[in-house]
Amino acid sequence: MIRAKINGISLRVPEGATILEAAEKVQIKIPVLCKHPDLPPTAACGICIVKLKGMNKMLRACCTPIEEGMEIITHDPEIVEVRRSVIELILSKHPNECLSCGRNRNCELQKLAGDFGINEQSFPQYLADIPADNSTKSLVLEPRKCISCGRCVHVCQQMQNVWALSFLERGFDTRISPAGDIQLADSPCVKCGQCSAHCPTGAIFEYDETGKVWELLQDENKYCIVQIAPAVRVAVGEWFGFKSGANTTRKLYAALRRMGFRAVFDTNFGADLTIVEEAHEFVHRFTKEPTKLPLITSCCPAWVDFMEKFYPDMVDHFSSCKSPHQMVGALSKTYYAQKQRLDPSKIVVVSIMPCTAKKHEISRDREMFASGHQDVDISLTTRELARMIKQAGIDFPNLPEEDADHMLGEYSGAGTIFGMTGGVMEAALRTAYDYVTGGKLKNVDFENVRGLQGVKEGTIPVGSHEVKVAVAHGLSNVEYVLNKVREAKKNDRVPPYHFIEVMACPGGCVGGGGQPYGVTDAVRNQRGDGLYEDDREHKIRYSHENPFVKKLYKEFLGEPRSEKVHHLLHTTYRPMPEYKR
Amino acid sequence: MSTTPTIILIKDTRLAGVDTTRDVQNVFEKCLKEAGIESHVQAVRAADMGVYERGVVVKLLPQNVFYGNVKDEDVSLIVNKTLKKGELVEHLALRNLPSQVRVVLRNCGVINPESMEEYIQEKGYEGLRKCLLHLTPAQVIDEMKKSGLRGRGGAGFPTWMKWNLARSSVAEQKYVICNGDEGDPGAYMDRSVLEGDPHSVIEGMIIAGYAIGASKGFFYIRAEYPLAVERIHLAIKQAYEGGFLGQNILGTKFSFDLDVRLGAGAFVCGEETALMASIEGKRGTPRPRPPFPTQAGLWEKPTIINNVETLANVPVIFQRGGDWFSAIGTEKSKGTKVFAITGKVKNSGLVEIPMGITMREIVYGIGGGAADGKKVLAVQTGGPSGGVIPESHFDTPVSYEHLQELGSIMGSGGMIVMDEDDCMIDIVKFYLGFCVEESCGKCAPCRIGGYQMLKLLEKISEGNGTDQDVASIKRIAKAMQKASLCALGQTAPNPVLSTLRYFEDEYKQHIGDKKCRAGKCGKLLQYRIMPDKCKKCRLCQLKCPSNAVVGDKEKGYEVVQAKCVKCGVCYEVCKFEAVERI
Amino acid sequence: MNKSAKEGRGHPADDGRGVIKVGMSSCGIAAGAGEVFEALTKEAKGRGLNLEIKKCGCVGSCYAEPLVEVRLPCLPTVLYSRVNKEIALRILDEHIVNKRLLNDLIIDLPMKR
Repeated sequence: MIRAKINGISLRVPEGATILEAAEKVQIKIPVLCKHPDLPPTAACGICIVKLKGMNKMLRACCTPIEEGMEIITHDPEIVEVRRSVIELILSKHPNECLSCGRNRNCELQKLAGDFGINEQSFPQYLADIPADNSTKSLVLEPRKCISCGRCVHVCQQMQNVWALSFLERGFDTRISPAGDIQLADSPCVKCGQCSAHCPTGAIFEYDETGKVWELLQDENKYCIVQIAPAVRVAVGEWFGFKSGANTTRKLYAALRRMGFRAVFDTNFGADLTIVEEAHEFVHRFTKEPTKLPLITSCCPAWVDFMEKFYPDMVDHFSSCKSPHQMVGALSKTYYAQKQRLDPSKIVVVSIMPCTAKKHEISRDREMFASGHQDVDISLTTRELARMIKQAGIDFPNLPEEDADHMLGEYSGAGTIFGMTGGVMEAALRTAYDYVTGGKLKNVDFENVRGLQGVKEGTIPVGSHEVKVAVAHGLSNVEYVLNKVREAKKNDRVPPYHFIEVMACPGGCVGGGGQPYGVTDAVRNQRGDGLYEDDREHKIRYSHENPFVKKLYKEFLGEPRSEKVHHLLHTTYRPMPEYKR
Repeated sequence: MSTTPTIILIKDTRLAGVDTTRDVQNVFEKCLKEAGIESHVQAVRAADMGVYERGVVVKLLPQNVFYGNVKDEDVSLIVNKTLKKGELVEHLALRNLPSQVRVVLRNCGVINPESMEEYIQEKGYEGLRKCLLHLTPAQVIDEMKKSGLRGRGGAGFPTWMKWNLARSSVAEQKYVICNGDEGDPGAYMDRSVLEGDPHSVIEGMIIAGYAIGASKGFFYIRAEYPLAVERIHLAIKQAYEGGFLGQNILGTKFSFDLDVRLGAGAFVCGEETALMASIEGKRGTPRPRPPFPTQAGLWEKPTIINNVETLANVPVIFQRGGDWFSAIGTEKSKGTKVFAITGKVKNSGLVEIPMGITMREIVYGIGGGAADGKKVLAVQTGGPSGGVIPESHFDTPVSYEHLQELGSIMGSGGMIVMDEDDCMIDIVKFYLGFCVEESCGKCAPCRIGGYQMLKLLEKISEGNGTDQDVASIKRIAKAMQKASLCALGQTAPNPVLSTLRYFEDEYKQHIGDKKCRAGKCGKLLQYRIMPDKCKKCRLCQLKCPSNAVVGDKEKGYEVVQAKCVKCGVCYEVCKFEAVERI
Repeated sequence: MNKSAKEGRGHPADDGRGVIKVGMSSCGIAAGAGEVFEALTKEAKGRGLNLEIKKCGCVGSCYAEPLVEVRLPCLPTVLYSRVNKEIALRILDEHIVNKRLLNDLIIDLPMKR
């Protein structure tokens, strides 16, 4: 432990703690802009400066480790003045468009300017004339609003290992852009949206489709159906005064109905269905087609995109199952339409996702039109939904709790944990265990695939077999796992794993790129805990025991892995032109 | 009297007046003939003797006797006393002249840089031999401590301390980097050393490697120095062949490899952490410190980064001892410093002076004063990170501490002399413009602050400045100094601040009177036709591109200021000097 | 300082052969040292002079480049400034052959080594 003083208050902190972290222990929040609690410091903005007693120099609190005996001053008139100057300088290169910016009232720069009472423009504005890039229809890049904090670049290169974003030019002209100054859609971008979730301003923003949804809801000729993803329910509340992880599922159903959706479904139903299909697929490969092992999960569209771009040799190992919201979409326009005698061409399916890549997935190829129409018409992020609820004037916290609509709305405990890293694996293992052994697990909780460790490996006894599994989240963690697979394949050895789950975003969908801002590991865990609690509260904790899933097969689909199932619920993958990082 | 033939170099060193060199030569020749030694002694007119305003200066070689203020009547005295009897003519002898001391440049211009043998003849690799065979790494660092050598790249950090920090970092792999990314405008000391004496830098690196326990070193040289790169490559090859690099150097257990990396022309890559990022193949931007490179540097391994000139000092320290080295210079600034003296100075070039001599001695004594006999106004040291030192402070000794007190820095050794034709705001715009151009763009204070400040200076130089602008400049300067991430941004305001300190009047003139004393700020110039001198030839009116000259043969002509674009054509074409520039 | 005092500029070379050194760093080359070096090498050979002509680095007097040092056994060593091809030939003819030094070209700067 290291002893130091901050503003005269003595404290002890562990070795390596930064001044910023230490200050929090004595109830001081040093203002920061570029530092995100989730990321290592980039030291770019120069706002968190502090002084050491008796020294003329100022240090950055975000990246300076505390040393024994340091006497730190976190504010005095000089420090505040320098901070104010820096903020004003940043503002001089940032458009004054707060009122027409998606980040209005949710912008870190705006907040800082407010805190410092910046009420005049001391320096003339010099704005860059760079057009917005909305080529992906998932994310919009507005380099004009960029303050060059470097978060997105770190996220894209280090956290996600995608290397779509980089800094171009230098000095005053420094800007973010895909390397080579191409359009984002032509870059290796996998649309995970982690950049947008970490951006302090409106420089990277989800491709907003709320307007389109409002229009469709108004259209009397349309029958709007909505579904919510697992991770949305434990995060959206954050924008309405709930704690992270608070389960607001049933309030959400109510809100969506009040917004005008005719049927409110749950993507968790699709998750259950995915598990039934994927568990069958796994058991089939495990017993009959071992060359196609390991089986790799495919419900994360950013991961699918990443695999097609960077690991095209893994195509055969991918589960052919579509992601849950695509299944719900396809069934809404076939099964549900038939049952309700609706014209599928009039049905609009909107999915509420914690994700920006889902916006891309809904039209990624012809197989996303399995119903004869686009199976999911619009995918909104959690953030877009939260804004719509506010626009509708819905008093979300005080809403009554309602249930989802039948047929595609009920879910098991296994379906809901899809939203957290390890959840798909756990849900699949529960069902696969049953399929292989014909018996029930004593304890359905697979603790060793839970948690936020980047790669989780384990061996699960399933009857007389040992199933070797790996779970990775955050795309930079994939390399370790897949390189082991490649190595084994190259040397004709037994694969190191039988089953691999990958989610592109750290923490899985709870930390998705479309989720409310300010995510940290603590927040990811809280949201995850909300899902595990939802799981525990469900009587049915096996996907294949979801009575509506059973009914669906009986009434409509037939057997798992049947022709019809394949047509509606499965897809294919193709190697993309190889991307070099 | 000497038995070898003697030559007498003669030069009239007065900067004004008639050059009498030839006359004195004639007197010498006559006198030599009279003495009957004309076959043995040649009197030769020299081009430059490195001393100024000492009348006629005479130097006898090989006796190396130096006389100043030599009059015709002194010639026979010199011939009879010095040449014939070998006695000094006391009252003419020039003593204590400002003299260069060649430590770093000891071999530059002396040996063939492409020959390792010649380097070895000049005691090259003797220092290394001594270190490897007779000293422990700790003793090497002790000797460095004794020498008092401080980093020559700009900051002046004690070299032994840097080495010691790296030595005490525990790691399997450590690195030595030679920073040859010299980038200050007008500075080329390092290039000259790399081109003229590459082995001395290599020897310095190997000794550094031995001292800290590194087995690998990198030269980081800017790609704009192709000859330096070529010579370093050749010297490395020779050093491998000579057994000074590679495995088991000089039969010891110490092994060291050297490689070259080229910088792509970004000034910021001279900053240690940006330089390492560049070697690692990343975007060359600085990162926060700690961790310091000596703890976690190149590829996270303990690394020392020393400048070319620093390393070139190292072999001499071990040849001649730390005590010998520390006898040169001042109490806190030991040894010599190489400066690239340029600008409005007579003798531009490299000078190596012992620390502690005055700026006056450098500018006038060695540099020969201003080029055209104009008045020297100030000297800029430290490049874009430094400041200006006005003539009134020229008696200050040149050392790390003294320059800093004056608001400038030693820097890497750029020294630009400015005379009365230079406008301080113009100069500052140049330096700040350089920093704005070279800012990596990572941190906000430097990226935006520099640009805003430059725009304000432009505004002032165009006659649109206000007192508020000066206040804004000071405010931005403070933000940049305190909140920039690396030295580039922290020091970029120095030229502005030091001119505000010493030449505030010039700012006031530009802002209040809308005048530029030196006539450098084009938009503040006014062209005026003087009626008394004008011959009404109308040439200016015909040539003016913006129809700003109005009038006729009757009334005469005048320049309409509102229309004038300050191109100066009228001033140039007038045959009667009737157009004045004010 | 002993060795350098013996071999430094202003003192004759102590082996039998004359040496001409041309400053061939960037500054020298930019000022035309390459041409001078070539002319000296070619013409010395043509005149059958027993000379060693070699390259060296920059002594620092960049304003006076190209610089050529002439070291003969029988004369003090001197440094010629602003040498061009024509002066190079004069150096060979007058200094090397006739042992007469050239006027108005020598520079001699106070320097301790």
